[in-house]
Amino acid sequence: MEPASRPVHAEVPAAKIDPRSWVDEHGDCLYRYALVRVRTPEVAEDLVQETLLVAVRSQDKFAGRSSERSWLVGILKNKVVDYYRKLGRETSFTDLEFLKDECSHKFVEQGFWNHELGPHEWRPEADEVMHKGEFWQTMRDCLSKLPQRVADVFMMREMDEVPSKELCRTLNISESNLWVMLHRARMALRECLEINWFDRVNPPKGR
Amino acid sequence: MSKPYNPSPVDNPSRLKRRSWPETQIVKFIGRHTPKCTEVVRILSQGMDQKLTLKTRLLLNMHYLICRWCQRYSEHLRYLRKFSRRFPEQISTLDVFTMPASAKDRIKRKVGESAGKTL
Repeated sequence: MEPASRPVHAEVPAAKIDPRSWVDEHGDCLYRYALVRVRTPEVAEDLVQETLLVAVRSQDKFAGRSSERSWLVGILKNKVVDYYRKLGRETSFTDLEFLKDECSHKFVEQGFWNHELGPHEWRPEADEVMHKGEFWQTMRDCLSKLPQRVADVFMMREMDEVPSKELCRTLNISESNLWVMLHRARMALRECLEINWFDRVNPPKGR
Repeated sequence: MSKPYNPSPVDNPSRLKRRSWPETQIVKFIGRHTPKCTEVVRILSQGMDQKLTLKTRLLLNMHYLICRWCQRYSEHLRYLRKFSRRFPEQISTLDVFTMPASAKDRIKRKVGESAGKTL
């Protein structure tokens, strides 16, 4: 029977696919996936390469159960997690400084917001903001200001929606350590977006 | 030295403020019996990752009555999540997110070599 209505790769014997075509077909997609998460172009390139090499070796196991692309992204996903894990548990000095910062200048002695420095009203609404290219650049700049380790944790949790328990296991960190990192990341990112985007687009009037 | 703290003064954006004697008493009561803002921001962050108890949620909502800042903070944390989820697809439209041709060639070569061995 003719496999016309089926996905092509399900019928073609694995050996007939030229793995080199993956680079043109999926290279950019894989590269983007990696670059967003690891932020260094060279590392992203390496991860894509490793992914494709693994794919070449396990080609016959891929029996067209999913699309070629999601199969490759799946391999890359694991590679990224491996990369995070290999980065190790050590927290650098700058990270420690960042994590220790209680942002105490934003609060008065008694632990309440200093009203002059408290969060502003965000206008325009988030849903409108998301259509703007420059907004996403600001978001990227703010993410890149976070210490590497903290940014990794934040992105795994918020971007890839990795459950907290799994995240702790993968990175071999305690849950309380995770809460601190996420809290600081959110605090810093919130402020960075406020200063560099929302206040600029719509300068705060009074408070 | 520092002035005694004056929660929710008249001209602030919170729902309850010190517009009259009874209101001031409520503001003070809430200020005394709900977590401080430094604590609230920590709880809010944790609330993004696990469900808070009913009691905690009630306390937070009471706190918001006299503290619009913490309420905004919680709105912003939810926005941050929304932004983060959309970030990968949005950012990839930027040019820098295309793999350099030299890298593509290199990877093609490597993959070709490796495939040659296994075939």
